[in-house]
Amino acid sequence: MPDKETSKLEPSQMKTDTEEPRIGVYTCYCGGNIGFVIDCERVADELGKLPNVVVTRTDMSMCSDVGQTMIEEDIREHGVNRVVIGACAPSLHEQTFRGTVSRAGLNPYFYHHVGIREQDSWVHSHDHEGATKKAIRLMSAGIAKARLLEPLEPIKLSAEKHALVIGGGVAGLRSAWDLSRRGLKVTLVEKSPFLGGHMAQLEKTFPSGEEAGGLLGPLIANVVSDPNITVHTYSEVTGVRGYVGDFHIQITQQSRGVDDTLGEAAMQACKTEVQDEFNYGLTNRKLVYKAYPGCYPSTPAVDWDHCPDGYLELEIDGRQIKLENQPKTFDINTGAVVVATGFQPYTPLKGEYGYLEHPEVLTLPQFIRLLTLIPEGKELQLNGHRVHNIGFVHCVGSRQIEGIHEAQEDGQVNNYCSRVCCTATLQAINELRQRYPDLNIVDIYEDIRTYGRGHEEYYAEASANQVLFMRFHGEEPAEVVRATDGDKSPLLIRVKDYLTWGEEIEVPVDMVVLAVGMMPTSIEDLIRLLKVSPGTDRFLLEVHPKLRPVETAVPGVVLAGTAQGPMNIKESIAAASAAASKVAVLLSRGKVELEPFVAHVDHELCTGSGECVEVCAYEDAISLKPVSMDGKEVEKALVTSANCVGCGVCVSACPNLAIDLQGWTLKQYDAMVDALVMDMSAIGVKHE
Amino acid sequence: MSEKEWAETLKRLREEHKETVARSQALLKEQQAKRKAIRKALEEGPRTVPEVADLTGFASHDVMWYVMAMKKFGLIEELEMDGEYYRYQLTQEKAK
Amino acid sequence: MVQEKIRVDTLVVGGGIAGMQSALDLADQGYQVALVERDPSIGGKMIQLSKVFPTLDCCSCITTPKMSAVAHHENIQLFTYCEIQAIEENDQGFVSNALQKPRYVDVDTCTGCRQCEYACPIDVPHPFDRYLGAHRAAYVPFSTAVPQKALIDMENCILCGKCQRGCPANSIDFTQKEQPFEIESRAIILATGFEITPPDAKKEYGAGQFHNVVDALVMERLLAPTGPYGHVLRPSDGKEPDSIAYVQCAGSRDKTLGVEYCSRVCCMYAIKQAMLISGALPLADITIYYMDIRTFGKGYDQFYQTAQAMGIEFVKGKVARINEDENQNPVVRVEMIDEGSKVVERMHDMVVLSVGMLPCYDPQPIFGVRSAEDGFVLTPSINMAPCVTEHPGIFVSGTAAGPMDIVDSIVLAGAASAEAAAYLEANDGNRRSVKSTTNAARVTAHA
Repeated sequence: MPDKETSKLEPSQMKTDTEEPRIGVYTCYCGGNIGFVIDCERVADELGKLPNVVVTRTDMSMCSDVGQTMIEEDIREHGVNRVVIGACAPSLHEQTFRGTVSRAGLNPYFYHHVGIREQDSWVHSHDHEGATKKAIRLMSAGIAKARLLEPLEPIKLSAEKHALVIGGGVAGLRSAWDLSRRGLKVTLVEKSPFLGGHMAQLEKTFPSGEEAGGLLGPLIANVVSDPNITVHTYSEVTGVRGYVGDFHIQITQQSRGVDDTLGEAAMQACKTEVQDEFNYGLTNRKLVYKAYPGCYPSTPAVDWDHCPDGYLELEIDGRQIKLENQPKTFDINTGAVVVATGFQPYTPLKGEYGYLEHPEVLTLPQFIRLLTLIPEGKELQLNGHRVHNIGFVHCVGSRQIEGIHEAQEDGQVNNYCSRVCCTATLQAINELRQRYPDLNIVDIYEDIRTYGRGHEEYYAEASANQVLFMRFHGEEPAEVVRATDGDKSPLLIRVKDYLTWGEEIEVPVDMVVLAVGMMPTSIEDLIRLLKVSPGTDRFLLEVHPKLRPVETAVPGVVLAGTAQGPMNIKESIAAASAAASKVAVLLSRGKVELEPFVAHVDHELCTGSGECVEVCAYEDAISLKPVSMDGKEVEKALVTSANCVGCGVCVSACPNLAIDLQGWTLKQYDAMVDALVMDMSAIGVKHE
Repeated sequence: MSEKEWAETLKRLREEHKETVARSQALLKEQQAKRKAIRKALEEGPRTVPEVADLTGFASHDVMWYVMAMKKFGLIEELEMDGEYYRYQLTQEKAK
Repeated sequence: MVQEKIRVDTLVVGGGIAGMQSALDLADQGYQVALVERDPSIGGKMIQLSKVFPTLDCCSCITTPKMSAVAHHENIQLFTYCEIQAIEENDQGFVSNALQKPRYVDVDTCTGCRQCEYACPIDVPHPFDRYLGAHRAAYVPFSTAVPQKALIDMENCILCGKCQRGCPANSIDFTQKEQPFEIESRAIILATGFEITPPDAKKEYGAGQFHNVVDALVMERLLAPTGPYGHVLRPSDGKEPDSIAYVQCAGSRDKTLGVEYCSRVCCMYAIKQAMLISGALPLADITIYYMDIRTFGKGYDQFYQTAQAMGIEFVKGKVARINEDENQNPVVRVEMIDEGSKVVERMHDMVVLSVGMLPCYDPQPIFGVRSAEDGFVLTPSINMAPCVTEHPGIFVSGTAAGPMDIVDSIVLAGAASAEAAAYLEANDGNRRSVKSTTNAARVTAHA
């Protein structure tokens, strides 16, 4: 196979003729998104009257192969040397069309995209005439800019063939392993002292019934034995500099406090206990601890969060030993970052379904741990009270409705579905039924969402095994209250059951299990450092759920697993692998390309006032450097292209108009503004 | 390929594909008859699909399919709605 | 002309969204890919859809650029109207016997101008429009097809030669024959997709008999701007419907059909279509009969809430039967669960069956890859390796691995390409993994 890449034209080799602009204008119907509102044919006809416009065309979808081929042919065969496309937002298809223009042999930046969908047809859907006029205006401004377009070249940077994975749960582990298998080097950081994340706290996985530990163990073993992967536990990202291909990441690592020789003895010697988060507070653990049997690393760690002074004194073999936390900070250089920071189970507010008010109310994650703490054959007990009747409540902390459910600290309710809780609840119920055939089990749900492959079987099994289902409406959530003294069971669940005429029912229970949803791990600092954005549901936001589902708006930063939204293990694995794929696409060639829309300083005009440096918000993007001019050494502003985001603040701050944004110059803006306000009838364009 | 060779190739192929050609020819005959009847029904003016069905005696879903096919290939055009139904007419060119 | 033998890193079977995405993800990493699609155009089911949930982007806007990217990618060789007939394995990997079906059109000279289609006298119900529209026996598959090339439907051709006379590029060639060729690859990704519940599966719903009881893919076409009618009209007589009902789980979660699983997409597409219909026909009443609303994806439950706020009626009910009155109006017999399970009959102008996703291809005979009990490709380690089949070197992407929506298909496609890339790296001496430069402890923890 010939490698066609070598024959591909570099932008600099492409047609960059300075001859008269010959502009092709293309108006897209966007299915009907634009065409049902805007009279695209009229837009094309009118714009065809403007100077330099040599061809105007319309198409049902300009981004289709047919549309793109049409543009290519106009460039190749009709001498079009500037392309203006009126279509969706540039964020969707600017790259698509840049490829089209480039394939036809024209510099890809001889093309300007006008958004007449988001900025016009969608917002003026009831005003066809007005929207059509606006499209003519907006596109004539685009044409005015197109006359002044200059050839540009993307900024090419060499890329570190190395990725940083943040988070040592199943998604992070999987991304790291896939990246290494692809031939990249990887650094994985995990905030806690141990790898495994929430998956380590699960018992059986659905739908296969395999032990979670049995699946997680080999993955951890693969990662830690892989020569291309470096793992830092008890570590956090504390600084981020640089850009895609060349990030400089600062990592801060807590001391473990003990080593293998001291570890076991220190665990023995430590007397202070705190709630064990691994069992969600059902049990206690020591301050020197291992997260779970068989955890990795096997060396215990000191829980510094509960040592306010940063040290712990223990008496080991009659000797006083002081264990101290001496955090260590170091930098790594990486090409891309995979954010796999995971989720936290929703913690019900005090009193929500009786949580924290009645000790008989547990969350599902707690209940899963409880089942593992009760030996096989022993009866189901909580605080010494035998459980005969148990109720499960779905959608706790999920699918919440404003005005009905109490908001979180940020004033918002969790209006999303957490995806995993239905199947997880039914799996727990079936397990319970198997272990305790005589138990009365009530399942209170809104919709049963056992959507996955092999999940419906859990619902079928529960339905076939005397589980009583009750269905509530979202705006009428169930209540959990203390029963009257003397009742057999300590709690009552009050529910309006729509499987029985919407009747108000009181169910006496000994234990209530709340199927809590997922919330993203709180990572405010990381969000700030990486400049990624959370969505309204607080999970990290992808660029586009279909076009770029695991990428963020920050080049080189991708998402893996539940940091992006609720997912089960299978979905987290798939997302983690997909994230690895994207990083491989980015880094496997050892170079990355950035858009050339960055500031450019005209040193003839620059007086070295430094006002641009003052206002610039980005590190190392613009600075004053001595340059030699006419034999003299003078201070001038210099732009480091890779660090400049093209925000344009320096352009407005410069007192000498010495700075311009490539691709968006002041002259181009002037021409656009002129076009927006010009009297179009003077040049024969029917507009008013 | 000369005109003669070409005609002979087609003839040979028609023989090779005898069965499908025969079936398709029967289908074409039916289609031509139906299109003719629908055109006739529209000659006097624009009609809705149920009206064409009444005039031709064809099932209305069948008329619907033909009208839509004829519309796609430019033989029929759609007019404004008459109550709950669009009206259709022969395109000007064809009506001549 | 088709070469007799080509050699690539990976063969991708199926040119729907999952196959295209897997191919692009591998090709973008520098691997050579052959993509084989059985139909005359790539795009799969997705290109038939109107808009996609939950963003309501028009489907063309998302799909056609990917189709174009596949067609133009320097590392992808695209074969449409082509099938894999057998594979053999050797120490280099796989040798797949592919068969290029004849289009009876020279694709090198055809410009897709459709003159042949206008010249052809025979109308054929168009599968792309779920048979509500027509194509001619000589035709271009659809307006955004890739490649934009004509083909002849020999099953409905009378060999009259009109297309040949009409073609300005002299591209019609009735003498074309099937052309076998070989594709050597080191890995294979199966992205063979799904099919929908067949129209006659639910006899009690009158599907296949009643013209105004349609499947959801029909409604997608009616809603698409390029659809067969150009409007939402009912197929029996062209009436603009005032009242449209959706019957959920029509083919899923149904033991009588042997389909016990949930098809995952039907709740969301029904809600999406309901929203689009209320945009197109603001006065229409829309009812969705459901058992459980499963809007579980990112932003999906919010989408459901929006639909409720728009006035779309959600009725928890079991639809037992659909009859037809004398005006071809479907009459739905439904057990209204929220109203004490009373049974009522409600008349609508049109009923849309929210049909499920079924497996459509058994890879066992050719690829030696078994399917699970549900008929979708078996992935033995379902959680930890959702793209890995029983057969080393053969991976699965998209709905061939079970029902899923477009977002999940695209993510799984990325995962399949990661698996394939890892396999290629591990099984090729020419490509070396990065060697570790240090033997120092790579797991750090400091005391």
